[in-house]
Parts: sequence; C-alpha cells; structure tokens
Amino acid sequence: MRLLVIEDDATLRESLASKLSEGGFAIEQAADGREGLYFALEYPIDLAIIDLGLPELSGLEIIRQVREAGKAYPILILTARDRWEDKVDGLSAGADDYVVKPFHFEEVNARVNALLRRSGGWASSVLRAGPVTLDMSGQSLAVNDNVIELTSFEYKIIEYLMVRAGKVVSKTELTERLYDQDFERDSNVIEVFIGRLRKKMDPDNSIKPIETLRGRGYRFALERNQSG
Amino acid sequence: MSSLSARLLISVSVLLLFFFGVTIVVLDTAFREAGAQAQEDILDGHLMALLAAAEPDEDGNLVMPSVLHEPRFGNIGSGLYAELRRDDGEVVWRSTSALGLEIPAGVIPEGGNHLFLTEALADGTPLLTLSLAVQWEFPDGELKPYIFKVAESLDSFNAQIARFRQQLFGWFAAVALFMLLSISFLMRGLLRPLRQIETEIGDIEEGKRAALSEKFPTELTGVARNMNLLIASERARSDRYRYTLDNLAHSLKTPLAAMRALIGERGGDGFAVRFNEQINRMDEIVRYQLRKPATSGAENLVLMPIPVAREVERLIDGLRKVYHDKHPTITADIARGMKFRGDTGDFLEMAGNLLDNACKWCQSRVHIVVMPAAGVREIESGMVLTVADDGPGIPDEATDALSKRGTRLDESTPGHGIGLAIVTEIARSYGGQLTIGRSESLGGAELTVTIPPVSAAKKASPAA
Repeated sequence: MRLLVIEDDATLRESLASKLSEGGFAIEQAADGREGLYFALEYPIDLAIIDLGLPELSGLEIIRQVREAGKAYPILILTARDRWEDKVDGLSAGADDYVVKPFHFEEVNARVNALLRRSGGWASSVLRAGPVTLDMSGQSLAVNDNVIELTSFEYKIIEYLMVRAGKVVSKTELTERLYDQDFERDSNVIEVFIGRLRKKMDPDNSIKPIETLRGRGYRFALERNQSG
Repeated sequence: MSSLSARLLISVSVLLLFFFGVTIVVLDTAFREAGAQAQEDILDGHLMALLAAAEPDEDGNLVMPSVLHEPRFGNIGSGLYAELRRDDGEVVWRSTSALGLEIPAGVIPEGGNHLFLTEALADGTPLLTLSLAVQWEFPDGELKPYIFKVAESLDSFNAQIARFRQQLFGWFAAVALFMLLSISFLMRGLLRPLRQIETEIGDIEEGKRAALSEKFPTELTGVARNMNLLIASERARSDRYRYTLDNLAHSLKTPLAAMRALIGERGGDGFAVRFNEQINRMDEIVRYQLRKPATSGAENLVLMPIPVAREVERLIDGLRKVYHDKHPTITADIARGMKFRGDTGDFLEMAGNLLDNACKWCQSRVHIVVMPAAGVREIESGMVLTVADDGPGIPDEATDALSKRGTRLDESTPGHGIGLAIVTEIARSYGGQLTIGRSESLGGAELTVTIPPVSAAKKASPAA
C-alpha cells in the first residue's frame, strides 16, 4: 500500500519513511506543503501522514483541499501542537486520527494499520474471512489455523486484497500501490505472485480465496467473518 | 469615601458651613451693635428731655412736671422708666411708668459723667440704664448734686435680635439646602459619562461589547481612546504570546521526535532507553510549561464569550473518529445558548482532555453536560462542565495525587495525568476548580470543572 508522508523535518521524515517501508508500505515523501498537496491530489495514495506545521502550505489546508477534491483515504495528523484546539481543527478539517510529537514509531505504525483496516471496513487488526486469518499487526497469514509462509511482497498483495475484500482491485492499482516508484512496472509479475499466493493458501483449490475477473483485476472472494 | 459625588457633597457642605457660619456671625454682630447704638442714642435723648423738664421749686428742691412730653413715661409698665435721685440715694421723683417697680440704684457715676449699664429689675427683666450725675445750680446760686436715670427694658430689643437671628438662620439653611440639592443634581449629570464608562467596562468584562463607545465628553475621550488601545493591544499581546509559545513548542518537539526516531534506529540498548527517558522528560516540560501561559483566564477585558455547543459538537465528532474502533456512545447535554466567557482554546483544552479521558476509560458510554453556574441567571456567567463515563472510575489515592499541581496520575498512559493537571491549571486560572467524583447515572468517573461568574472569579484569583 502506498503511503504519503508530508513532514518538513528531513530526519524525521526519512526515519518514518524507512521504517514504514520496512513494514511493507510503498512511501511517497514530501518536504513542504505545496509539494505535499501535489502528491496528495495526483498520486494513488492509500493513506497520508501529514504534519500540521508545514512550510508553504499548512497541513490543515492540505487536508481541506484533499477532502474537497473528494479523496476519501485516511489521513493521520502528526502534530507538535498538542492543544485540543489544533487536534479538533485537524479532525474537523477531515483528518481521521492524530499522533502527537515526539511519538514512538510503533504508535504511528499502529495508527496507520488501524486506519487502513478501518478504511477497508474491518473493525479489528485481525481480519477473518472463512478459513483465512490475516493478522495485520503480526503480518502473518493463516488458513485453517495453519500459518502460511509468505515473502514480504506476497504478504503485501494478500493484505491489500483482503483489506478490500469484496472489491475489485485492478492490476494497475496493485502495481501502483505495492511497488516503490523505481520498481519495474510489469503486470506479469503480479500474475506470477497471485499464482503463488493461490498455491500457498489453497493447494487443493478448495476455498478459492482470490477470484480473477478478466480484464478488470482481482477480488478477495471469501465472505468476511466480521465487519467494522 | 470612594464615591466622587459623596466627596464633592461633603467638601461643599463643609465650605458652606464655614462661609455661612462666618457670614451669620458678622451679620449678627453688626445688627446687634447697630441696635445697641440706636438704643443708647434714644436713652440719651430721653435723658436730655428730662433735664430740660426739671424745674426748681420755691423750697429749693428740684421737681419734675406731672406730665412729661414722652407719653411712655406716663403708661404703667411701658418699659421706659425714669427717676431722679439725690446723691444720698433718696428717690426725689419716679416716672408713672415705673409704678410699683424698684429700679436698681446701680453705680453712681462721677459728677458730669454719662454711664450706660445693663441692669435688671427685681423680676429679672434686663434693662439698659443711663445715669447722669449733675450739680444743679439753683437761682440762689446753691449747687445741689442730683442723679438723673433713664432705663429701658431690653425685652423688645432682645426679641428683635432673636427674630433677626431666626430669619437669618432660616434663609441661610434654605439657601444651603438649595445649593446642595442643585450640586448633587449637577453631579449626577456630570458624572454620567464616568458611570457610562464603568458600565461599558463591565459589559466588556462580560463580553457584551468589544470596546468602549466613542461618544464621551472631550475630557474623557482620551481616557476612552487609551482604554480601547489598551484592550486592543492586550488582545494582540495575548495572541502574539500564545503564537510565539506555540511556535516554540512546535520547533522544540519536531527535533525531539527526530531524536526519538534516530535513537529508535539504534535498537533498544541501555543507552537508547536512557536517552528516551530524557526525551520524555523534555516532552513533558514542553507540554506542561509552554501550555500554561496560554491559559490567560483572568484577563477579563480580553475575553469574549464563545458558544459552547458548537465546540462540544466538534470535539465529539473528532473523538468519534479517534475512538472509531472502541465506538463509545457519546451524549451531550448543553444548556440552550450556553456560552463560555473565555478563550476557545482553553475551553477545548478542558472539555477535550476530560472527554478524551472518559473515552479512554469508559466501557461504552460517555456523557457531557455543560450548564451555567448554579444560581446565576446570565448564561455566560460561570460554567459547570461535567464529563461522566461508565468505566472503573478514578481511585481515591489518584484523586489526592491530582490535587497536587502537575502530578501525573499514571505514568504508563501518556496524556492521562498531565491532561487532568492541565485541566486543573486552566480551571484555576479562571478562578474555578476540577473535582473528581463518581457518576450516579453511569457508575464510572465523573469529572466536574466549575468556573465561577466573572465578578466572583475576580475576587477568587486577583493575580492569576
């Protein structure tokens, strides 16, 4: 999934970006408000982490414009001004949650995952659909309680599909959201990974977790056991 | 003597008393002396007439005619008496008016001298007497000493003076009363602009107006203008102060976050743990100390009343997002048209921290009530803000700890204890307090912030 980090402090931004990408996210970085707004409006983003105190354009203004443009992805505010006035301003402008500086990375990570899960309609970080269980905090997948060994890229694909269970996800979307920018964009690679996932999760082809819709993309087909 | 009009009235009364007192004494003395002089002249005239009327008889004695020119000598008890004595004191003649009266002999003057005396009749009636001792030369050339004496009762004279005094006092009292009444009436008019300033400042304190009006007399326009400048500059200063502190907090916390990120990359060795502790300490200092001055509750002139319902709505909407997974039921009960006379940030800080705590600790329900202070009619005077939840409640020892300024309740839950400490701090700056109890309806903690009305708050925290 592709996250946008807008933070003017380089050390903080790079540290956040590197740790988040270790967690399997593709990251876009912006160092000021104007650049950030451009990314936020023009790039395929699943979640934005926005510092409120930015040069050029305030975080609050970015949030407002993103929401005005009809973008619905979750927004997490980073704020050094932890007065409720600022938090409430951010939340009513359209942000979904906040983290107050100086934060622990784990806190940001937990909020990011919760927001992503929430935006997919899941109430808990453990997603259950039929015999399939995906633990987002532990980044593990199990079928019928048997843990399945996945590469990090395979995990990213199944997480992306399962968070959006029931919705069609195109190959282009998958490529955009899962690769980092410099990665070679080849939709065949996606097909290969999907094939591998199917084999690992469903060796005897009995539960059919991932459906292929010709010319449109893929869909996680199992019914959710819980909803948010 | 705090009232200007009382001061003026008292000063004017003292002045009037002094001037009128002196005037009365001067007029009274002048009138009395003029009266006494006239009285003496009249007596002298009567005495001369007596001398002219006296005739020697054949026996070589002095006799008076039976009827004198002045009719009052003939009327009994007329108040004007005369007598003629020999120098041995024997009365030769006494006027008919003095029938039955004993005119005191008094002091006998030396020959040829006039002597005025104030004497009294036997019944106490005061008399002004004039005695003249003469050596009467008879036709045979013999000289015999005689004493002529006229006396006039002072009763009518004293009555005249008393009447004069009465009139004098009466008129001066009337004039003084009239002057005091006119002055207090004038003062009322003159002091009206001052009272208007007072009323308008009261309105500003209660947030009913933003500045003093322009329509004051020339002498006061300067005061009003400067007062408005002061209010405006105070507002600007308070904003600037907060802005500066905000920026300071912001520019301190971003590097702190960066430090924490950097130290996090090292992994969790002992150095990193100790380093993180220092970052935590700095963070708390920044949060607590740099926030405090933003709560400027006592600066009444700067404060405008803010509608509470909208802010609570915004807070609840925000918290519903933040506690999306827990999904507590947050209900609000806000008095109609309720306003908080203070800073929006301060209100959000108190309500936000209390609601956040309640959402954190509740099972599923949170209830917020905002009402005007008990027994106060005006909606923006004072506030009672209550937040209750259905959680485990706050233990007594924690309640005690909280009453100590800045003590954190729970080190492991960031923002819990410091949040309540901040609420306490803000409430105090408005002369109010935070009390912790147990909710009767929900069973969990019930935290109440009580902010007294402006006038009461002023008395409670004059220097907050």
